[in-house]
Amino acid sequence: MSDLHLEVKNLIIDALGLEDMTADDIDSTAPLFGDGLGLDSVDALELGLAIQKHFSIKIDADSKDVRQHFASIDSLADFIRSKQQGGQ
Amino acid sequence: MQFDIRDWRAWAPGLATPRQWRDWHAHPALPDMAAGQPDVSFLPAMQRRRLSPLARMAFHVAWPLAEMQGAQPVVFCSRHGETPRNLALLTQLGLGEALSPTHFSLSVHNAIIGLWSMFRGDTSEMTALAATSEGLELAVMEAVLLLQAGAPSVLVIVAEENQPEVYLPWIDDVPFAHAIALQLVAGTRWTLEPCASEAKKEAREASESGCPVPPALRLLPLLLGDEVSHCSGNWQWRCTGQ
Repeated sequence: MSDLHLEVKNLIIDALGLEDMTADDIDSTAPLFGDGLGLDSVDALELGLAIQKHFSIKIDADSKDVRQHFASIDSLADFIRSKQQGGQ
Repeated sequence: MQFDIRDWRAWAPGLATPRQWRDWHAHPALPDMAAGQPDVSFLPAMQRRRLSPLARMAFHVAWPLAEMQGAQPVVFCSRHGETPRNLALLTQLGLGEALSPTHFSLSVHNAIIGLWSMFRGDTSEMTALAATSEGLELAVMEAVLLLQAGAPSVLVIVAEENQPEVYLPWIDDVPFAHAIALQLVAGTRWTLEPCASEAKKEAREASESGCPVPPALRLLPLLLGDEVSHCSGNWQWRCTGQ
């Protein structure tokens, strides 16, 4: 697990109040929404906000790629890394 | 108004069982605020995580009563509601920050009954009231009307959580966080009616001494069977037989 993966997992646990979970409980490849971790639409908004704040990046909510970026920890980490490397 | 109270539960920090409430009623003192949050471990973690302290109290007192009955209407009443969530939102606005969607969606007064309906899969009529210090009485009135309209039983929940310090100069009816749930059914053992002025005077004199008791918890002596009548503000409670 990379530092960024761990950081994203801990951010999810904190921001969404997953009080009984640790970073190890979250599978980096599993879906975050629906069947995997089981997050819902309010979580999607809360998580988007937390990521923008924590990583000082901007997410265009209307972009059709957003759904894909938020699919799993892996895709989210890739997305954050690309934003941080100047893909604003 | 006449009705029966089939069962009840109350919670304050460190006080949950009838035995604990009986001891407390014999020697009232401010509960130990560090005594923790009410237990809601009967809910899955994914449901539990968004519950405010107010919602946790409401679920803690009402859930066991609901387990014995099944689907039934709920009347939830709180004078101050989710004030801490609203203050958090106002603070975020003041700082020019984006608002938390979770706080926003759960800050409204009927959020708790909405969660209740979802978690229990109960689509019965649910009502959220806000009233002054007569919340319990007005919630019971609403419940009695629902019984008269044909509901087999109605859950009444009154809850108040500790208030943010910034509001404390204006709040005098929440000496400590507390919640009470009553399960009302049709009957004649309990009576609630407007109070005669003499009884009002007695009630005022009685309330001037000792530990401050939140309005909704002043019903405890009757629920515990220690007293048979009680005047609260403009209302007279009477209970005959247990």
